[in-house]
Amino acid sequence: MTQPALHSTPAGRAVLVEQIRAVALALRLPAIAAAVLLGVATLLVIGERVTGGGPVGFATELALIPGLVAALLPVGVWKGEDLFDAAFLWTLPVDRRRHALAKVCAGWVWLMAAVAFFILWFLGLAFFTGGNVLGDQMLRVLPSAIVPGAGPIDPAALQIVQWSPDAFLWVAPFTAATGAYLLASAIALGTRHPLRWIVGIFFGSLLASAIGSAAHIEWLTFGPARLWATLHAGPYGLDALLTARLQSLETLVPLSNGQVVGAWRGLPDVGHWAMATLLWIGVGLMSLWAAASRHRERRRPSRE
Amino acid sequence: MIRESDSEHGGAAAVTTHHLTKRYGTDTALDAVDLLVPEGAVYVLIGGNGAGKSTTLKVLMNLERPSSGTAEVFGLDTALRGPEVRAQVGYVPERHNPGYGWMTGGRLLQHIASYYPSWDDAYADHLIRGLDLRASRRVGSLSKGETRRLQLVMALAHRPPLLLLDEPTDGLDPVVRKRTLALLAEHLADTPTTVLITTHHLYEVESLADHVGVLSNGRLIAQMPRDDLQRTVRRYRIEVPDGWEAPSDLRIASERRSRTGREIQCIVVGEERAITERLTLAGARVHEVSSLALEDAALAFLPAEATR
Amino acid sequence: MLVNLDLHDARPLYLQIMDAVRRALVVGTLRAEDPLPSVRELAAELLINPRTVSQAYRELEREGVIYVRRGLGTFVAPDIHPDRHERRALARGVARRALVEARNNGLGVEELVTMIREVAAAEGGEPSPLPTPAIRDEEQ
Repeated sequence: MTQPALHSTPAGRAVLVEQIRAVALALRLPAIAAAVLLGVATLLVIGERVTGGGPVGFATELALIPGLVAALLPVGVWKGEDLFDAAFLWTLPVDRRRHALAKVCAGWVWLMAAVAFFILWFLGLAFFTGGNVLGDQMLRVLPSAIVPGAGPIDPAALQIVQWSPDAFLWVAPFTAATGAYLLASAIALGTRHPLRWIVGIFFGSLLASAIGSAAHIEWLTFGPARLWATLHAGPYGLDALLTARLQSLETLVPLSNGQVVGAWRGLPDVGHWAMATLLWIGVGLMSLWAAASRHRERRRPSRE
Repeated sequence: MIRESDSEHGGAAAVTTHHLTKRYGTDTALDAVDLLVPEGAVYVLIGGNGAGKSTTLKVLMNLERPSSGTAEVFGLDTALRGPEVRAQVGYVPERHNPGYGWMTGGRLLQHIASYYPSWDDAYADHLIRGLDLRASRRVGSLSKGETRRLQLVMALAHRPPLLLLDEPTDGLDPVVRKRTLALLAEHLADTPTTVLITTHHLYEVESLADHVGVLSNGRLIAQMPRDDLQRTVRRYRIEVPDGWEAPSDLRIASERRSRTGREIQCIVVGEERAITERLTLAGARVHEVSSLALEDAALAFLPAEATR
Repeated sequence: MLVNLDLHDARPLYLQIMDAVRRALVVGTLRAEDPLPSVRELAAELLINPRTVSQAYRELEREGVIYVRRGLGTFVAPDIHPDRHERRALARGVARRALVEARNNGLGVEELVTMIREVAAAEGGEPSPLPTPAIRDEEQ
């Protein structure tokens, strides 16, 4: 008896292209919201400029935005998909692990587009308002001998250093976003209740500190906080990935003449940034693979 | 288990399972199920809530892995070759939620079309019109019946060799149900298809069925062609002397006695002639033998506690 | 040709379809060379598996009652004589069902026959013999 001719599975490229289109649809609302925000920001800036404000310059907080958006993106990408139940995605004729990775990839494509758009917007705004973000900057640097927070500082102690932004700074937003996106996607894909994990770890740390403090165990009391500090602001920490440590290196410093100015405890280091980027992206890729593997097929039945 | 071999449909089976077992912790959803769906058949799998019907379909789609045993679709092992199996299947899941509520119906169909090279656009349009769907509405705003119909279009439009329909008429009013069945009948006439339907209510899809399987607590207690089912279950009205008890070797599904105890109406599984002889030999006088609706005949195989 | 299926009847569906065709031939609503609904049409109308309709048509074709012309459809055979053979087959079915019913109600054959005649006489005479078959008989 002849069997019916078997239908074939779809080609990999077709799946990826369709996922890119579908994810675009899923992200349409957040994209519109973001566009509105940028529009409002543009109006505000122009308003400031017109009424006599200064040109737009670089702010270290801006460097955080690509990373933040990237971390939140998986929420939009995986909207409507019940991953740990009979998700619609799993009913399609594609290997599940590959399919999940295709969707993550589709989200990444749009993420890169969004970051590029954001940078162009910012450059445009800066240029329009007569600011200069591409050229050399004069930065106030704190000599290493002085510890910030020890009290008002003599203005003369601050060094003024000329710093030319490195070419890598332009790549940083893209790598930052990629790293954050990989990690966030791994969490979204790999855990059934990501929020529970996040909240749980946060409160777990607090609890550990509290117990340590009550029981006078030094490493338990300060351990979690130190761990987070290293992970975040250490030389290869998250901040290095996200902002090349621009965020953590700059602080507000009170001067003895009453002013409060921004000063830098050190200058951004390409070496650190590159290492941190490689490290975190590597971790991100591995976690993503592990998370996607949770949904993989091709397993043998446990018993015959 | 009562099973009839199916010589008239030839040797090829679209779906077979071998001792398929699925456990969720301590709960056994499927217990050594040996399902056999011949090619081209319309096989209706019935059973109560939690009997394991949806689980069976999920295992075939590799949405669930068997705890032990195997399942095959057109000779492909479902656990090892999931994507290829799913390429042969049009699936309507139990939930009325195709996901992607923000897409319009038309866009969702376009999305699926990219996954199935055999997608027939013209046929999809024909089905949409036939089922009275509004393709421009967002999926999230559709009613329960409309999502069900959309899911049917999604399953039928790529003309798969196998249809796995989990409660396909659930949420459909009788008029729409009839139209759906008519479309399904036309689909079967145009495309060589095997259909496996699960349902609570056999009568809703009864006319289309040519095979019936009965699941109870995860066990497949009966599986046979429809004609055999109707032939081997009968209702007997018999007159018996006082204190008469039915022979223990007879498979009696239900029994009703009159107040005097001398008249009994019982549903017995077995060939009519043999059962009549047996009853007569046991001292009963057979007054009337009648056949049952297919659903009642199928339910006769359930353990006595399940039927009243 | 209008077919009504009785799902509760123990008879297989394809046999019911065959009987319906025979009945139509005897009554005269179907004649030689008349077209039959396609498998697709009939299946959609009755909400049954098209294979069941195919089976019925195949059996009828084997018995020479109908024939298939490729691409054009299914038709009643040109040389069909529904009277003797089909009438007897129909009558046999009716008689069998009546006897089963009688037995279920504890009635004997003679009782039934007598009562049939009584009721027929009282409720408006014999059903008129159908003219068409008789004429065909004569033509033969």
